[in-house]
Amino acid sequence: MALRATRSVRVAASSLWAAAAAEAPRPLVSFPGAPAHLRARRGPGSLPFPAAAAARGLCISAQRPAIRKFTDKHEWISTENGIGTVGISNFAQEALGDVVYCSLPEVGTKLNKQDEFGALESVKAASELYSPLTGEVTEINVALAEDPGLVNKSCYEDGWLIKMTLSNPSELDELMSEDAYERYIKSIED
Amino acid sequence: MLIPFSMKNCFQSLYSLKIPTAGYKNIAKGGLILQSASNNIYQNLAVEDWIHDHMNLESKPILFLWRNSPTVVIGRHQNPWQECNLNIMREKGIKLARRRSGGGTVYHDMGNINLTFFTIKSKYNRMENLKLIIRALNAVQPQLDVQATDRLDLLLDGQFKISGTASKIGRVAAYHHCTLLCNTDWISLSSVLKSPYQGIKSNATPSVPSLVKNLLENDDTLTCEVLMESVAAEYAAYHKIENNIILISPTDETVFPGINKKAEELQTWEWIYGKTPKFSINTSFNLSEQSYSEIKVYVDIKNGRIEDCKIDAPDHSLPLEMLDKLSTSFIGNKFCQSETSVLINALLRTCPKDYELNTKWHLLCQKVKSIM
Repeated sequence: MALRATRSVRVAASSLWAAAAAEAPRPLVSFPGAPAHLRARRGPGSLPFPAAAAARGLCISAQRPAIRKFTDKHEWISTENGIGTVGISNFAQEALGDVVYCSLPEVGTKLNKQDEFGALESVKAASELYSPLTGEVTEINVALAEDPGLVNKSCYEDGWLIKMTLSNPSELDELMSEDAYERYIKSIED
Repeated sequence: MLIPFSMKNCFQSLYSLKIPTAGYKNIAKGGLILQSASNNIYQNLAVEDWIHDHMNLESKPILFLWRNSPTVVIGRHQNPWQECNLNIMREKGIKLARRRSGGGTVYHDMGNINLTFFTIKSKYNRMENLKLIIRALNAVQPQLDVQATDRLDLLLDGQFKISGTASKIGRVAAYHHCTLLCNTDWISLSSVLKSPYQGIKSNATPSVPSLVKNLLENDDTLTCEVLMESVAAEYAAYHKIENNIILISPTDETVFPGINKKAEELQTWEWIYGKTPKFSINTSFNLSEQSYSEIKVYVDIKNGRIEDCKIDAPDHSLPLEMLDKLSTSFIGNKFCQSETSVLINALLRTCPKDYELNTKWHLLCQKVKSIM
């Protein structure tokens, strides 16, 4: 429902990224539909693209701007200076319900793409977290120990889960762009 | 109706085929009802892991019925020191297990039925499962007043909890499991589900204590066997499958390849205790009933191991060097009575021969051990 309001922002942003954003192919595995009552909504404070990254895109810079990519398991990763920040999407945090505990890996843990790296416990269930890429954990969001609800309140900003190196940056191309992810959500909702 | 397991081929094809084939469709159309032949918590939890990881549940949900010998089962992110009385459990030989689903702590014995509903993620619906259980209960006893709450507990007569729920969501599948109190030893239940440990500070998920009651107290026809049959019949009717309960052996590697390794993992100290979220203990005790000398203990525990430890005797009843020696020797060790015993015995050999000091030292070690 609230997706309409942000479409104009997305259109503006996507023109900035036109050269950089290569759309990822749709995943080959089909996934079961989600209950109809789960709609992808923008949570407060969650922007389609970080405002800082939008500003960076206007400057002439050799640095690759931070772009958010999504997995079919509703994790996102945005990369900057070779470090990826991982979190779960708004769709996922809504489906989860109130997060009461975040189980995250130790710094230094090596992860392969799609490896289980932790779990989020909510009133709904304990849900596994899967690594979007291959790399090594460099940081975990310690704020989540005291306030696991940050995952719900700010899934794209303060509710990030881990940061990791990218052993194989080309894996990013296999992930969905934001547009592709939104189409994917719509397809599983129907 | 229980079918002794002769359907090995059934399982082998179920395991090896991720996508249905004609043979698979013939074998188990629409779902399966399984019952464990084992009362071992670790083996039964391993069955859940195995089904969750290996079986294709598309259009083929599974109901798994199981019971265990006396065990306390804590949720994935819980702290056993906060949830139960480990000392009483050790004395009575009651096992401790950590399950992979979330939720709170429960006591299992042969008077409690566990029900696991396996589905694909899109069909995950806990309330639907609980309504099925209520129909099954009312099929045996129509007058029974059982309701599901928002927390997905089942309440008898509006106040007594007879069932608690927990669940896990994975890559493509999900499971919802719940208990059903038929005829549990509630004296054991209430003694072990009360933690004696003081001063624990933790962000582990807490349990919500509830008033419980056995169904058998309401109606002596509501035995475990009768209720398992009734739930199976209701499940079969709902999913339009044959009402056949298949008895399975959770240790059979030919049917469940790799299952024994899963059961072993669930029994390791690293899983049961080591997975406890980081916590600290800040407590104090008197050395003995006769003594007024208070000892303060502060311990930081991460991954079940002691990261930091301070032992203080503010009234100097014990030499500072001894206390420092004890506290630093704990660091890096498991927060575990048996490992601590080994450590303490080694340290006691280096203790001064002064009788009074030796006695105090001995008492101190025992007291510190008792908080583990």
